[in-house]
Amino acid sequence: MSKAFVIAETENGARELCAGARKLADEVVLVSVGAPVSGAADKSFHIDVPAGNIADDAYVTVNKIYDAEGGDVVLGEQTLRALSLVGRLAAKLGAAAITGVSAVEGGVATSMYFGGTGVREAKAAGDVAVYTFGPGVFDASEATGTDAVEEAAFEAPENAVAKTGSEALPPSDVNLAGADAIVACGRGFGAEEDLQLARDLAAKLGAELACSRPLAEGVDWFPREAYVGVSGAVVSPKVYVAVGISGQMQHMVGCNGADVIVAVNKDKNAPVFKACDYGFVGDLKTVLPALTAAL
Amino acid sequence: MNILVACKIVPDDQDVKVAGDGSLDFSRAHKVVSTYDLNAIEAAAQIAAANDGSTVKAISVGPKKADDSKTKKNILARGVDELFLAADDALDGLDAFATAAELAKLAAKAGDWDVIVTGDGSADLYAKQTGVQLAAKLGVPFVSGVVSAEAADGKLVAKRLLESEEETVEVPLPAVVSVAPEFAEPRIAGMKDILAAGKKPMNVEGAEGAPAKAVEEVSVKAPAEVDRKKEMFDDVDAFAAAVKAAL
Ligand SMILES: Cc1cc2nc3c(=O)[nH]c(=O)nc-3n(C[C@H](O)[C@H](O)[C@H](O)COP(=O)(O)OP(=O)(O)OC[C@H]3O[C@@H](n4cnc5c(N)ncnc54)[C@H](O)[C@@H]3O)c2cc1C
Repeated sequence: MSKAFVIAETENGARELCAGARKLADEVVLVSVGAPVSGAADKSFHIDVPAGNIADDAYVTVNKIYDAEGGDVVLGEQTLRALSLVGRLAAKLGAAAITGVSAVEGGVATSMYFGGTGVREAKAAGDVAVYTFGPGVFDASEATGTDAVEEAAFEAPENAVAKTGSEALPPSDVNLAGADAIVACGRGFGAEEDLQLARDLAAKLGAELACSRPLAEGVDWFPREAYVGVSGAVVSPKVYVAVGISGQMQHMVGCNGADVIVAVNKDKNAPVFKACDYGFVGDLKTVLPALTAAL
Repeated sequence: MNILVACKIVPDDQDVKVAGDGSLDFSRAHKVVSTYDLNAIEAAAQIAAANDGSTVKAISVGPKKADDSKTKKNILARGVDELFLAADDALDGLDAFATAAELAKLAAKAGDWDVIVTGDGSADLYAKQTGVQLAAKLGVPFVSGVVSAEAADGKLVAKRLLESEEETVEVPLPAVVSVAPEFAEPRIAGMKDILAAGKKPMNVEGAEGAPAKAVEEVSVKAPAEVDRKKEMFDDVDAFAAAVKAAL
């Protein structure tokens, strides 16, 4: 009988991965370092991480549970903490996680290469395959299992990291998932006040505002939830207007699901023009007001 | 503080060509430092600058082509004092387990260290696994997503940006920390820095043998093309009409 070993932090992640694990193995064991999760696996463990410790350091306990339970395939959630736990277990097994997996077929996992520039197929060389999945690959509602959750005591490693504080991030009001239209801003916006031009266009289109990754983390003109791409939001509006965005694959894989892609860029050779439906070459400072007025 | 920074030298994906059979051809691609590893180098340089008498040494593992004069200087022009590079085709395309083992060997050669800084994830696989695998190999603590760090007597006081919270931690040293791009924007290296970089010590070596693979690559192909109209406009009214019709 084959067994899957799931490492999760969030409840939704646990359910999604357990649903996926069922497709890959006969028996599913779950270890959660967030909330206890029932009804998702055949055996469910919960590690209560003390307030002064970090969940990443739960690896001592996770690895012990693995030693006791075993598993032919490990499925990890792609949160930073779960990725730490996956990495520690993989290291112990002499394995390496294949991450960002979108499908597993006959032991071959598919994931992106260079952020969507390529599609890569890879498989584990050793006895245990270790995969991690982003949200949405599996359907959380399909998870089934026991209601019993076993508590496993947190065991601190030597030289444990001390957690001295934590602050919840402010909830974001970005709502790209259900948007019919999105206006996305890139580094072509030289100054923060120029974003008003995009806001005006968005207001006219009834669109949500989004951005490329550099505008959410190099400068923090946008919250993290607003950036579209391989490591950010994946969106599928009717219309996606990319303004001052060069069109690198890492960004475009996030908006390829749009019915229509519109691009405004001052460089006629920008790659975005090879990936759009309607393009306009020009300076966004003149094109956006004119477009907004003409709509 | 003695700081090591691990960085990956990768082909520039802008130069990648799609071959006739749909496979990707990287053979003509320039070598560059992986995007977010530049932020890691900057983070290491900033931690060093904040702590008198610090050193920063870069460690990197890659194929023979990683031994590229311009790329090596680019690393050393960013506040890095010395480079330890293992460049050998036997070390091409290593998975995180094997990379960690090779980086650990370089770390041993680089002398005493307090902290090893890694980037958010490499441009090719973006697996975010090398840092934690390296920590496991070395038997030291690991934290990821670090956006700021200050040294305080045998510890690093750091802030981590996680999915829904910001966590403050004290990391006992030695440790491996992986930094988020938000930690620091990479500097623009000036001509003087690049000239000076050419005079800094570069220790380049081959592989002692081909490491065992934990992951086997089956194929890498170009993605399926999404069909787009690619219609260009020079009249704003016509452009506006097209956009409107799509809504
Ligand atoms: C592992 C990894 C993951 C990544 N994940 C993501 C991701 O999820 N999402 C993402 O967006 N990026 C991601 N990136 C970054 C990505 O590779 C690109 O660097 C980024 O998308 C570029 O953003 P940009 O198009 O806004 O900026 P640039 O590439 O700098 O493009 C700016 C564009 O603006 C144009 N422009 C300049 N001035 C004007 C003007 N006045 N009017 C009109 N046009 C103008 C320029 O011609 C240029 O085309 C990732 C990178 C890596 C390595």
